Amino acid sequence: MSNERAEFADFFLASWEPCLRAVLAVVDSRQLAEDQVAEAFARAWASWRKVRRHPAPKAWVVRTALNAGASWWRQRNRELPLADHDLTAPAHFGNGLDDSLLTALRGLSPRQREVIALRIFLDLDTDSIARQLGIETGTVRMHMSRGLAALRRELTTANNHGG
Amino acid sequence: MNARDDLSDADVLTAARDSLSKLPISSPPDVEAIMASGSARRRSRLIPGVTGTLAGVAGAAIAVTALVPGGHQPGHPAARQPTIRLTAWTVDRLADGNISVTIRELKDPAGLQSTLRADGVPVSVTFASQPNRACRAYPGGTPGPPPHPGTALLRRVFPEPYRRLDALPSPPRSGGMSPTRLARQVHARPPIPRPSPNQTVIVIDPSALPGNAGVRLGTSPGGNAVLIPAVVYASTQCTGNVSP
Repeated sequence: MSNERAEFADFFLASWEPCLRAVLAVVDSRQLAEDQVAEAFARAWASWRKVRRHPAPKAWVVRTALNAGASWWRQRNRELPLADHDLTAPAHFGNGLDDSLLTALRGLSPRQREVIALRIFLDLDTDSIARQLGIETGTVRMHMSRGLAALRRELTTANNHGG
Repeated sequence: MNARDDLSDADVLTAARDSLSKLPISSPPDVEAIMASGSARRRSRLIPGVTGTLAGVAGAAIAVTALVPGGHQPGHPAARQPTIRLTAWTVDRLADGNISVTIRELKDPAGLQSTLRADGVPVSVTFASQPNRACRAYPGGTPGPPPHPGTALLRRVFPEPYRRLDALPSPPRSGGMSPTRLARQVHARPPIPRPSPNQTVIVIDPSALPGNAGVRLGTSPGGNAVLIPAVVYASTQCTGNVSP
């Protein structure tokens, strides 16, 4: 049991940041993202014997985090706009490129964000992303292509404005 | 030459990663607290009605994943009548005047809605993925983010599940609660109504509703079978012609 605890602790410390950043790419609220990731790690520990054998445990955490709160949160934001808990404002760096890129990222669909986040923070290839999300590889490629195209437009615009 | 052509997918991904990596994040919570919460979750599987410990509780979302459609006929028991078990849902008026709704299967929302309205609860019930779009959230009437999902209004209108949710441990960053303490705290409260793993109990206090408000019982989109009670503005299209 102590070996399991040590193993989980190592996994947690190594995975917290990439998992949180991946979730933060999808969820607009930093507080919500942190809570969802914490919840996901708690669930990972509750099912550690299963999760430790998962081919991509970090991806399991990210998917669990997104599933943990996204359903009611999406519903609340789409249909219950009068809720008295506002989303946190996106961070601003005072850096035009970062701000515009983040704005562009926020403008992508949740699935596009999710696909991109799994690629850049968990380094998953297309097949792995498809398995994690339970969708076809062609669908992953489509979301990736469209998401990258939108970001590329933003980068191009920023570069052109920057001289 | 179009500058857009100069940016490969890898370039765009790198730029996105660099930008996202600059977002400030907090340091990880104490791993012992995370493990304590996970252990509590494992233990809570043995405690009826306790379905989550952290964000799972956050939206006052009561997991009713066991409530899959089955072969039972939905029940229409009149309030104040002895409960007939194994129906999809039952409605009871409690001794204190509150209305207890026990849901075992996500079936016949229209029947549940009419039963509750007949009992004086202005309500909209939708178990499908498409909620009643005529309903507008009442201020403070929807669950907030963790760690305090229940507003004062929600706690008044829905004594359950919020009393039960309040008994659950805090998020790990503020220190976890031991499974033993969790069990003790849950059991220290009056065990009525008491949900089981395959049913959900929501208690409604109609007298706590503001004059222009009603109740919405809906499930989350995507077929996740998560029941979300909320307070909404009363209207003919949403909650019917019922005076709370």
